[in-house]
Amino acid sequence: MSSVKSVVISCAGIGSRLGLGQTKALITLNGRSLIRWQLELLKDFEDIRIVVGYQANDVIKEVLKIRKDVIFVYNHDYFNTKTGASFYLGAKDANEFVIEWDGDLLVHPDDISKILNANDEFIGYSDIVSDEAVFVKTNNKGDVLSFSREHGDYEWTGPACIRKSKLQFTRGNVFEQLEPYLPMKGLRVRAYDIDTYDDYKRVELVIKEWRNL
Amino acid sequence: MKFIFDLDGTITAQETLPVIAKKFHLEKEILNLTNETIKGNIPFVESFIRRVHVLGKLPVSEISDLLSGVRLHKKVLKFINDNKENCVIATGNLDCWIDKLSSKIDCICYNSIAKVENNKVVSIEYILNKDEVVNKYKGMGEEVVFIGDGNNDMEAMRISDISIAAGLIHYPANSILTVADYLIFNEEALCRQLNQLL
Repeated sequence: MSSVKSVVISCAGIGSRLGLGQTKALITLNGRSLIRWQLELLKDFEDIRIVVGYQANDVIKEVLKIRKDVIFVYNHDYFNTKTGASFYLGAKDANEFVIEWDGDLLVHPDDISKILNANDEFIGYSDIVSDEAVFVKTNNKGDVLSFSREHGDYEWTGPACIRKSKLQFTRGNVFEQLEPYLPMKGLRVRAYDIDTYDDYKRVELVIKEWRNL
Repeated sequence: MKFIFDLDGTITAQETLPVIAKKFHLEKEILNLTNETIKGNIPFVESFIRRVHVLGKLPVSEISDLLSGVRLHKKVLKFINDNKENCVIATGNLDCWIDKLSSKIDCICYNSIAKVENNKVVSIEYILNKDEVVNKYKGMGEEVVFIGDGNNDMEAMRISDISIAAGLIHYPANSILTVADYLIFNEEALCRQLNQLL
């Protein structure tokens, strides 16, 4: 299925909650930009689409240092939209199946292949670690039954894979695009959202253990 | 679906006017005009008239032969030849200069038109307005994809259904990045996107 998949990395946001004054793709983690971490983890995947908005030129410049075959997708209305809009724009002219990958998400290297090689649509979730998580409720098979702002079994982090024809434009969040299709297969991964400064410091500690990268 | 391609730098792997200038040792005059035009600092029509004024004195047949040897982006060319019914070229370049070059590309070519006498360009009779090509196909009910790189592509890209800024041989003009849906720097990636749109 990999030949009919695209990865959409959403890097258009202004990173306001993190408070480091730049879009999250450009924040530095142990000496590397976050987008470099992501692209190195996805180095063997062909169709990578990066949605840019705030600081687009800086993100593009950083990406081109790493690889030239990325398709950049513009979300010109990044200030008034959230990740759902970027995912839609990145997915609408992509391959049949699209893997949503937030620009502020770091996935454990050992979980990358099971994400890219999963045979069906899925919703990725992790153990609860973030400060401002959206939660998922699951059944005993690990399928995702619902999203919640209040409580749940795991943290919704993504990535998620879905057939692109199912996506509708929204100014809101990705999980709201997925809600109409619940229940969906769940995929438990080690993934870390970086929404706040505490998330950022936590992830810096986590990746120090990733010796092989 | 109609794919409208800019010619210089998008299908060709070299800008054509600098190739002419180099051959006839007019690089200094032409290069500065070309660069300023790509950046959007000189309006396209003014720049085009000034460049033709310089180059029009040169033998048309030699220019046509010269440009027939300009390198092309092979994968882009293959996409066009494989999908010739869906592809057209829109270029401001003159018919008399690119006739042999465009005959190598198996699709309709819209271009500017010159009056030629004694193997010289004596006047410009028509300057192509690329947005007219977009409007023509939109008026026929086609979904239009425009692929370009220069400031003179901006209006055509703005009114197209899908616009792709191509940075295959130089960074695209900043003006088109404000309206582009996609920005692509690699020929394989461009062709991947074009095939995804089919």
